[in-house]
Amino acid sequence: MSNPTPPVGPGLPETQTMVSDTVTAPAPERQGRHAKKSGKPASLWTDAWYDLRRRPTFIISMIIIVVLLVMSIWPSLFTSIDPFNARSCDLATARQGPSAGHVFGRDNLGCDLYARTVYGARNSIVIGVLTTVLTTVIGGLLGIIAGYRSGIVDTVASRITEIFFAIPSILGALLIAATFRGQYNSILLVIIALSVLGWPMVYRIMRAAVITAKSQDFVVAAKALGAGSGRIMFRHLLPNSLASVIVVGTINLGNFIAAEAALSFLGVGVQSPDISWGLMIADARNRFLEAPLPLVIPAVFLSITVLAFIMLGDAVRDALDPKLR
Amino acid sequence: MRVTKGARIVAGAALLAVAVAACGSGASGGGDSAGGSADTPVRMRIGEPQELLNPQNTTETEGAEVLGAIFDPLVSYDENKQPVEEAAESITTEDSKVWTIKLKSGYTWHDGTPVTAADYARAWNYAALQDNAMSSSYFFGRIDGYEDVHPGEGKTPTAKEMKGIKVVDDQTFEVTLSAPFSQFKTMLGYTAFYPMPESAIGPDGKVTQAYGEKPIGQGLFKLDKPYKKGTDTTLDLTVYDKFPGEKPKNWTKLQFKVYTSSETAWNDLQADNLDIHDQLPATAISTAKATLGDRYHDEPDAAVAYIGVPLAYNKEFDNVDVRKAISMAIDRKTITETVFSGTTSPADDFINPAIPGYRQGACTACAYNPAEAKKLYEAAGGPKSIELGYNADGGHKEWIEAVANNLRANLGIEVSPTPFEKFQGILDALDAKEYKGLFRMGWSIDYPSAENYLTPIFGTGSIGTGSNYGGYSNKEFDELVAKGDQALDAAEGLKYYQQADDILLKELPYIPVYFYRAVYANSSKVKNVKLNLLKQIEWADVEKA
Repeated sequence: MSNPTPPVGPGLPETQTMVSDTVTAPAPERQGRHAKKSGKPASLWTDAWYDLRRRPTFIISMIIIVVLLVMSIWPSLFTSIDPFNARSCDLATARQGPSAGHVFGRDNLGCDLYARTVYGARNSIVIGVLTTVLTTVIGGLLGIIAGYRSGIVDTVASRITEIFFAIPSILGALLIAATFRGQYNSILLVIIALSVLGWPMVYRIMRAAVITAKSQDFVVAAKALGAGSGRIMFRHLLPNSLASVIVVGTINLGNFIAAEAALSFLGVGVQSPDISWGLMIADARNRFLEAPLPLVIPAVFLSITVLAFIMLGDAVRDALDPKLR
Repeated sequence: MRVTKGARIVAGAALLAVAVAACGSGASGGGDSAGGSADTPVRMRIGEPQELLNPQNTTETEGAEVLGAIFDPLVSYDENKQPVEEAAESITTEDSKVWTIKLKSGYTWHDGTPVTAADYARAWNYAALQDNAMSSSYFFGRIDGYEDVHPGEGKTPTAKEMKGIKVVDDQTFEVTLSAPFSQFKTMLGYTAFYPMPESAIGPDGKVTQAYGEKPIGQGLFKLDKPYKKGTDTTLDLTVYDKFPGEKPKNWTKLQFKVYTSSETAWNDLQADNLDIHDQLPATAISTAKATLGDRYHDEPDAAVAYIGVPLAYNKEFDNVDVRKAISMAIDRKTITETVFSGTTSPADDFINPAIPGYRQGACTACAYNPAEAKKLYEAAGGPKSIELGYNADGGHKEWIEAVANNLRANLGIEVSPTPFEKFQGILDALDAKEYKGLFRMGWSIDYPSAENYLTPIFGTGSIGTGSNYGGYSNKEFDELVAKGDQALDAAEGLKYYQQADDILLKELPYIPVYFYRAVYANSSKVKNVKLNLLKQIEWADVEKA
């Protein structure tokens, strides 16, 4: 994304061919490289899938992500201890090291660290996924409209986006979460706080991709055949701009999970008795020297999760970008 | 009403403690070599004072620590916790009702003018007058004429001064109480009873902002420059040459350093960038014990921590069995051992062991008995879900979470620990009816008497004006305390206070959880650091090593 917002004048003739240097120039007309077997021209997606399957980073990150997803849906598959049942905690055994039945030992309140970490995955994944969905929908929709309409709509939308871009995201999220703390469900609040400041990135990518795509011949053709704005936007422009948004979304997902942990660590994110890795890290930090595991374990899970999503995003980007092949 | 804001022993938030400590060591290392050892101040940790430095408006520990260095109290306390005259020559009474206070001569204000009996009368009248809204006003409630100057909310005072205070001459004044109070002399060591110079009052009849920033005292130290609350991170003081009492042997400069985190201060102490830390974090205890040797101090402290019950705000806790069940479901012993690393002890009375009147094991409902607790709770129909509020700035989270876990496991109910930014936030939310759960509460004594654990927290008269935040009211209790107040000797008074204590133990308006211990440490640069009964440093004894 070396140039996410190519300058497009409001009165630019639609037939003008734009030189695209965005990473995602779609190639609908191109003969797929791996399409020889079927003899048909492969779409960008088939092509990318063929490419992805051979990438070790994709395979590794997908394995981790699938495990995490299963963990967040059915945590009881991974541990027989229910950390929400206070009877599973025994204060007298606080900070004990690993033992049979408690692979990572106990935390500062004598609860099983492994069970808490496993159950903590759900909030991280839920917040990551929902925030990504929300930011992608908001940013994507605004981006496609701004990119397609250009002119005054684009100018206004872009300025608004810049305002949001100018707010440091963790500071802004901290402010929102701290202001409304206690009034809403803490998980919902984190999602909203992160989404409000997370969408401009998606907006920029989408807008740039749409501007590139709309000067392509097939769009011009659709227009010549009398297709309406809605049809052009959602049938032609959207599928051809989606690739880059997916890449950004995947990478963002990892970042949102990290941001959630940061907010929870600072005490404005997920609240006890809900479990979150950020919260676990915050609770363990005062006694880190005495008992390092309660901090290290959730931190390692957090790092692996974030890494997996970023790796996935990287792999998908490489696969979708014909220039990098 | 000295509510302990932060647990003495527990951690505050320690964001980037290590980084801050690293910066600190660089800065003061440079200062040392430049300044030379004679001028290096003795540095002590404090938290930010809640109000400007006006003794009559200071009812919390941090501001009181600073003011304790600037002012000299009428009485201090000896090893047996008995009051002895300090700035007073003599304090005498024949009937516990009329008290004659004679001042020692030789005391002067830091601006050079002599201290007179009128300065005491001025301070006490100012504190009591309702229009001045001083937080310490309730201390003067026992003085005759208090009702005239402090008739209660919504009413206008009919006098400016209490008729019970009479200035006899420059060195003598007479205080008449509305009823005999055997513990009056014991009270006089507290911050609220410090005198006030004439210059403190502005043309509008109120204490000036300038006085609040740079109070003129009559004590061992004077403040070098006005303290700007919120911006200044240190308060620098110098020994006042004309102070008639004992002075430190080999140093003259004192510096209070304002910390927001107990851990950061602990890191500074280890690096010798801080000399006195009076509230070691629980997380530091094992290291401190092992590395500091005789620079580590662990003494009984007269403070108590409770789970407060909002009796006036929430009917769900009306049944005494509900409160008893909650109390019996808390495993105090394990909490004090694990969460506090043994720096607190399980509470078993409303009166702290550091004070005469404590009876070991008096609180039978404080013994851990999960089976009985569950039975009792179910029979009494206790609420299915409970909120447990705490102030997040004092390092209370861990023990509150531990209590929450106890209640969840032993009573089978839902418990949500609810953090509030400050302790005041809980009280505001209770008043606004936005919150009606249990709350964390701590009490550090104002003066060393068993009475101080009763009246201010549970007396009917302390609702609204004192620290009776739960709104508990019991006529029999009030009467017994009053009888103790009127007793002519301490032993007889104590008997009644213990009977009043028995009522609390039976009714559990609050649930005592643990007794504090004072765990403090000093750097290798100073020695002979001691805390007095009010948990203030005895500065004259401190020596530079």
